[in-house]
Amino acid sequence: MKKRVQRKVEPMIEVIKVTKTYPHDITALHEISLTVNKGEMCFLIGRSGAGKTTLLKLLCNMEQATRGLIEVAGQEMNLLRGRKLSQLRQQMGVAYQDFKLLPERTAAENIAISMEVSYKKPQVIRDRVCSLLDQLGLADKYDTLTGELSHGEQQRVTLARAIANSPSIILGDEPTGNLDAASTERVMRLLSNCNKAGATILIATHDETIFREGSHRVLEIADGRLEGIAAFPTTL
Amino acid sequence: MNFLFTVLRQLGRNLRQTWGVQIMTLLTVTLSLLIFSFFYLVYTNVVNLGDRLSEDIRLIAYLDEEPNLELRKQLERKIIQFDDVEEINFITREQAYDRFKAQLGENATVLDGMPKNFLSPSVEVVPVKTLGHLNRLKDFSSYLSKINGIQKVQSGQEWVEKFNATSQLITIVVIASGALLILTTIFMVAFTIRLTILGRHDELELLKLVGATNSYIRTPFMLEGILHGLLGSSIGLGALYVLFLWIKTHFTTPGFMTMFDFTFLGPWGMAMIILSSIFLCTLGSWATMQRFVKG
Ligand SMILES: Nc1ncnc2c1ncn2[C@@H]1O[C@H](COP(=O)(O)OP(=O)(O)OP(=O)(O)O)[C@@H](O)[C@H]1O
Ligand SMILES: [Mg+2]
Repeated sequence: MKKRVQRKVEPMIEVIKVTKTYPHDITALHEISLTVNKGEMCFLIGRSGAGKTTLLKLLCNMEQATRGLIEVAGQEMNLLRGRKLSQLRQQMGVAYQDFKLLPERTAAENIAISMEVSYKKPQVIRDRVCSLLDQLGLADKYDTLTGELSHGEQQRVTLARAIANSPSIILGDEPTGNLDAASTERVMRLLSNCNKAGATILIATHDETIFREGSHRVLEIADGRLEGIAAFPTTL
Repeated sequence: MNFLFTVLRQLGRNLRQTWGVQIMTLLTVTLSLLIFSFFYLVYTNVVNLGDRLSEDIRLIAYLDEEPNLELRKQLERKIIQFDDVEEINFITREQAYDRFKAQLGENATVLDGMPKNFLSPSVEVVPVKTLGHLNRLKDFSSYLSKINGIQKVQSGQEWVEKFNATSQLITIVVIASGALLILTTIFMVAFTIRLTILGRHDELELLKLVGATNSYIRTPFMLEGILHGLLGSSIGLGALYVLFLWIKTHFTTPGFMTMFDFTFLGPWGMAMIILSSIFLCTLGSWATMQRFVKG
């Protein structure tokens, strides 16, 4: 109990008055401020085009904030370059909305990439990949090219890649968007195990079922603004 | 260990994915290296020949008659008056005959029945081998020819001048082909690496996203450059050696051989060529990667 209190006071992700303007004056985020504490799991909801993906992209430094401050694990994102950035990214698993899988590599190879960059032993990598594929119900897809997988299967491979290296921060962009109830259940169980192991998790989603029953924080974005921070989902 | 394993696997993927371009690059590197090292080979041989020739430079002044001791001293004095020399040799009719006979070798029988004194006696003047002295050789020979008792003076000077002009031309060709080598090597390797990068853009971007360090991304490509440099130069030198053997067996007659001893590049020359080729190829890939990891 004491441990939990301590965790709460230590922020992992801090976003302070961040504005993101794309070329041609498209403002995707407008003065957003939010904090995700270490070891917390929370959800980001909002209509399509609200700016969820944009926020996640800012957090993993795929895009740079136009204004405002973003700190992840105590590092200021706008200033992060080179080796420091690589190190942080190795500690951060991201399941992209567009997957970013390499279609000509097998599922196992795609998952292994995130472990290879931190020079894990081949044997360790193989064991981890097998266990993840197993937990996600893809045990027989080890040697299948990801280009030949279904959308939902690709989505799970993407998630496996994001968590394979046991990152301390996990960002999921609609990790259950194409999944049936059983697969969604598997994915959420895996994520909540990661959370119990100490990972900080932020998930952007349209899928109410995955947060309705939990007690996790739900943040709602509308038109690039943070609507409200609901400790309990409004749908309840 | 894991680093090496990962890097080598990545290198293998690169080579497999773009092998067509890789072979083209290798051929280009090989060819430009062959061109350069061919001219370099010619150059080193010409320089050797030049050294040997200038060793042989001497003025030969043919005398009207066999000089007595008095006349010898007189001639020596007059020669030294004009310039310092390395050696002055008097050659008698008989010595001249013996030399000629030795030069003819097997054909010496044509001399049978000839009087031993049909050749003129001569003075051989070996000049000091510095550029200043060699440049005065023409004046020297006309000075000698004006001395009483000297029939005519023979010098290899015109020949040497022509030779020097030729070797200067060859030097220019070597420098030009060297520059060509540098340009083609760097550009071809940079071009290949850029093609590889374009072909694997998605993967390299993803690697950046999952936290690959620059050295993780760059090392396989640097290795690729080193490989091109090593293979290209080795194959190029190998081809040059074959060419060398071919020229040696087809174009050199025994007489020509004795004067022009055609030799291959020494181990140092080869090592330098291989190392610089590796350096150039690595530079090419490094420059390209630098732009990618920064961008
Ligand atoms: N690269 C871009 N260039 C210009 N505009 C962009 C770019 N990416 C996103 N946008 C715009 O920014 C806004 C927010 O987009 P974003 O992808 O963050 O929405 P989202 O909440 O993830 O939507 P969805 O639920 O459909 O994934 C949208 O209006 C979109 O058109
Ligand atoms: Mg999105």
